[in-house]
Amino acid sequence: MEESVDTATAILASAAVLLRERMFDDISYRALADEVGISERTIYRQYPTRAHLLAALSNWIEQTSFPLPPFVTVSDFRAAAHERFRAFDALPAYAYVGARASAISPTLDTEPAYITRAIEAMLDVAAPTLNRRDRRRVAASLRYFSSAMFWARLRTGFDLDAGEICDAFDRAVDTVLAKLPSAAATRAEP
Amino acid sequence: MTVPELSGTQAAVLAAYAELIEEVGSDDVSYRVIARRAGIAERTVFRNYPTRVDLLLATAEWIEATLFAREESQSIFDIPLAIREAMERYDARPELAHVVAETAMRGVSGAAPSPGRAQLEQLLDAEVPSLDAAQRRAVIAALSHLDSVGTWVTFRREFGMDRRDIADAAAWAAEAVLDTIRDRVAP
Repeated sequence: MEESVDTATAILASAAVLLRERMFDDISYRALADEVGISERTIYRQYPTRAHLLAALSNWIEQTSFPLPPFVTVSDFRAAAHERFRAFDALPAYAYVGARASAISPTLDTEPAYITRAIEAMLDVAAPTLNRRDRRRVAASLRYFSSAMFWARLRTGFDLDAGEICDAFDRAVDTVLAKLPSAAATRAEP
Repeated sequence: MTVPELSGTQAAVLAAYAELIEEVGSDDVSYRVIARRAGIAERTVFRNYPTRVDLLLATAEWIEATLFAREESQSIFDIPLAIREAMERYDARPELAHVVAETAMRGVSGAAPSPGRAQLEQLLDAEVPSLDAAQRRAVIAALSHLDSVGTWVTFRREFGMDRRDIADAAAWAAEAVLDTIRDRVAP
């Protein structure tokens, strides 16, 4: 099936090119097929619905344009989130695809994103004795404030740029981490 | 948030579409099927909503303003309660929740991502007027973000939480945001 893997990637690469000039909704399977030089049917075989295409395109963009810097400590986590918010700001059309894909009803794999696991691992180290319920509350809040959705909401709903979004993110993270027993150690460095 | 002004025909189309989204488990429903469910001609649907995007955005706005409507909060410190109830409402209508979540993430051509912003600002300014601009913005942004269906989607999808856990964690996070301003209320 090597050929179909290549075809799938070619479709996503072309969709990403088309995204530079039009919205995801305006990219028809027909136009995509013409761009790749394959039949519309082949695209339907790879991506039976637009939701499948959106999810796959978002994964591909994530890997190629928005790689998450690895982090272990809270300050590295903050830095990684800042870097991503700035990358989103530089390529908004791509970032909105990511925000949309994370909001749709899941299509295929419902594996949590890498960042979710990384945040959980970070909390295991930062707060090893914290009970399970509070740990999940903290992890879920940090995950949600570091998401493409946060960036998209603040950009569209509040007209904020990456610097202002990073500031709002830091303040939100502070309020959540203040709930940790070891709060003092996890504050942002001045 | 106010309910958008709709004609009887429009309300029937949006209600029919929302019903079909729940039945089919996708927003991919043809105009023909929607028209039949609403009991009107297909061309009437087209006349009111020329494109699928028009129809989807209008439906999302209608769902948000009716099925997911919040009880009005009298204080910014009541917002966690409203968030808890909103999460429970989303959990009861998962397909519609996903539609509302996704349409709010489309940028300027999508649905408004923070429809409750003005109300939050009004409450905060009345109760805690002493915040500087950046603090005020951060509190409003964090609460707007938490008071949205994106919270329900993310907590469910990324952490496998159920209705109770989502409502709890979302309200908890909102309380955490309010901790910074809890004792700064204007006398």
